[in-house]
Amino acid sequence: MFCLIIGLRIAARLHAKQARRLIATVALTLSALTAQAAAPNAPFTPADDATVLQRVPTQTDPRVRRFEQLAEQQRRAPNNRELAVRLARTYIDYGRSTGDARFLGRAMAPIEPWMHTQPTPVDVLIVHATILQSRHQFDAARNELKAALKRAPGNAQGWLTLATVNMVQGRFVEARDNCVHAANTGGNYLAIVCNGDLLSLTGHADKAYALLGLIERGGPQIPADVSAYVQGLMADAAQRLGRRDAAEAHYKQGLQLTPGDNFLLADYADFLLDDQRYQDVIALLKPYTDSDTSFLRLVYAEAGLDPAGARDDIQAMAERFAAMDTRGSHLYRREQAGFVLHLLNQPGRALALAQKNWQVQRAPKDVRILLETALAAHRPRAAQPALDFIKRTGLQGPIVTRLAQQARQALANATAGDAS
Amino acid sequence: MTQRPYWRFLALLCCLWFALPAAAHKESDAYVTLRSDPDNAHVLRGQWDIALRDLNFAIGIDSNHDGAITWGEVKAHRQAIERYALARLSITGDGLTCPLSATGQQIDRHTDGAYDVVYFKAVCDKDIPNVLGLHYRLFADVDPYHRGIITVHAHGGTAGAVLGPGNQSAQVNLRQPNRWRQFKSFVYDGMWHIWLGLDHMMFILSLLLPSVLIWRAAAALPGQQRGEWQPVDRLWPAFVEIVKVVTAFTVSHSVTLTLAVLGIVALPSRLVESGIALSIIVAALNNIYPLIDKRVWLLAFGFGFIHGLGFASALSGLDLPAGAMAASLGGFNVGVEIGQEAVVLAFMPIAFILRRTRFYRLGVVRVGSAVIIAISTCWFIERVFDVSIPVFNVILPN
Repeated sequence: MFCLIIGLRIAARLHAKQARRLIATVALTLSALTAQAAAPNAPFTPADDATVLQRVPTQTDPRVRRFEQLAEQQRRAPNNRELAVRLARTYIDYGRSTGDARFLGRAMAPIEPWMHTQPTPVDVLIVHATILQSRHQFDAARNELKAALKRAPGNAQGWLTLATVNMVQGRFVEARDNCVHAANTGGNYLAIVCNGDLLSLTGHADKAYALLGLIERGGPQIPADVSAYVQGLMADAAQRLGRRDAAEAHYKQGLQLTPGDNFLLADYADFLLDDQRYQDVIALLKPYTDSDTSFLRLVYAEAGLDPAGARDDIQAMAERFAAMDTRGSHLYRREQAGFVLHLLNQPGRALALAQKNWQVQRAPKDVRILLETALAAHRPRAAQPALDFIKRTGLQGPIVTRLAQQARQALANATAGDAS
Repeated sequence: MTQRPYWRFLALLCCLWFALPAAAHKESDAYVTLRSDPDNAHVLRGQWDIALRDLNFAIGIDSNHDGAITWGEVKAHRQAIERYALARLSITGDGLTCPLSATGQQIDRHTDGAYDVVYFKAVCDKDIPNVLGLHYRLFADVDPYHRGIITVHAHGGTAGAVLGPGNQSAQVNLRQPNRWRQFKSFVYDGMWHIWLGLDHMMFILSLLLPSVLIWRAAAALPGQQRGEWQPVDRLWPAFVEIVKVVTAFTVSHSVTLTLAVLGIVALPSRLVESGIALSIIVAALNNIYPLIDKRVWLLAFGFGFIHGLGFASALSGLDLPAGAMAASLGGFNVGVEIGQEAVVLAFMPIAFILRRTRFYRLGVVRVGSAVIIAISTCWFIERVFDVSIPVFNVILPN
């Protein structure tokens, strides 16, 4: 009788899950269909002609002048491949530093004609793979890069990009091989950047820090964004070593080199949030709320200071995520998992997002969110892939080590509970 | 190393950071909403929200290049925007194109900034057909990742499509088939909800167990201390009894299910779930110490209200338009009934055949009810106090 009941009960749970999924799907589809109705504000007519509705890139920004100039040249010579690739790169570069994903699509447009030629030229393939990578389509990016590098094994840029894709996905053996190729084809500077990044992720943060220190001051001929990137890597390595003062100094230097850099802002803000320095986060990010990643961290800080007062902004952030879901964009599952966990307090849903994210990317922050959500949802077994990953790769860092310790403890308790 | 290649390597470095989670705005979307015109069956009214930053990129709205788009600048570009946009959307009905013309301009705010709203109408030769053809090419040449999120409200139905440069055309179907599918899926859902929602099943069974028996009080049984269940003679009265119980339960749970799904009644789920557990205790207890033997249907009717609220939890959170709501609610209710009748049909003949045996009267009715009481008491404690009972949970995780 009890077997029957248990069987029924399990079936009931399974079914409840299916039903919930069905209902969620129906609800999501319908919410997508009624996205218009769900828009927070109704259309309006501004009262005054001088009302500023939207900030857009301005020509006082040299980067904007550069891509506008290139776009003009490319319009006049649409068949010039070299120009098209250069324009695409410029857009990607701008999108990357401002965090405006629209520029990924804009970068696609000029190279699109060559994507349909056989064989696709290597430079086009590599820039296309870079776009895929920025849209977190890592598997597709890797395949394109491998195909391109088979044809052009001397392309340092291709090797470097491939190394980065493999590092984001935690494929360190392949990344090591890619770094060797990048070094052979690209020289010392590239070798240090590539291997410094790799060492930092694989339990040798001390060596990484020392190695990157060699190129920290690359001299005037190194572009500012390259130096800023090295500062970011050094800050990461310093954090893994528990040297928080040094890490902060590197973030600050990086941001001095490239003010408003979206990626550095996010990392520095995460660093400050770990120390609960909410006022500093707000001061840092206030000018950049257009960027979803910056806005999210700002909302964390607001909620840290005054949970009730942050309600409107939490709602606004939820709407941003909803708009991404409507278009079917899942670039931010990690960010969304954190948001759902820390600000919406829905650990079960957060864990599901973190698990989906884990299928796509395995950077240190992905490891951390999987541990956090599994612990919060009281499902320590879900943390197992992250624990295995840490064991396999030697990932360091005080926070991730503490979380892993907790997860192992919870797992041991759960296993003991099963046995008794 | 010479100067030149070194510089090239530095240029190469550009790709390194793109692997990082760099994108921080969503990509470009536009929203098209089409509604049938209540006054003219040939006409669809459209609203098209297009991001100002996308329009600025494609056709240049920021005339003075100061990095700030003002309402004045948007108004000045109204014609250019309308020409650009409307040339990139086609709506066809029955194979014939319905020409588009602009009817107004406003501004809307979305999560990623301000959007220009292009109001337009599509005038078809005939009445708006059930199947509309959409062809969408906005920004196809400047942003392959652009998406047009299209919603059509017509003929009392809602349909939608997400189109973009790689997927420019769609047929949207506005008539019933979707609704019917939805209805069926909810019928299925309702059935499973009854069969696998152990608590509803236990409640119904508790009520049905004595339906093939009749209670004889001690006074009517010479020489006995207490009353006992005795088999009924004929099938008909048992059948009538079952019909009464099931109908009463159906009527009352339908009422609360509807009220709850429509949001008219809302009780905390802890209260509802505890109430359901209590209802099972009472129903099963009544089989051992009958207080109500003639009008069991009253018990079914009374507790049906609380079970209806429980059913509603399976549907809650669905913010459906009225039509879809009716389909899902109706479908779910029909499913619950089918599930319930199936239980009754399976139970009745067996019970009727076994009714004279000691096994049925003692083993099934008394012991079975006692087990049900034990289980539902655990549920009740768990649900009221929001605790989990360790051993019980191993047997019946809830």
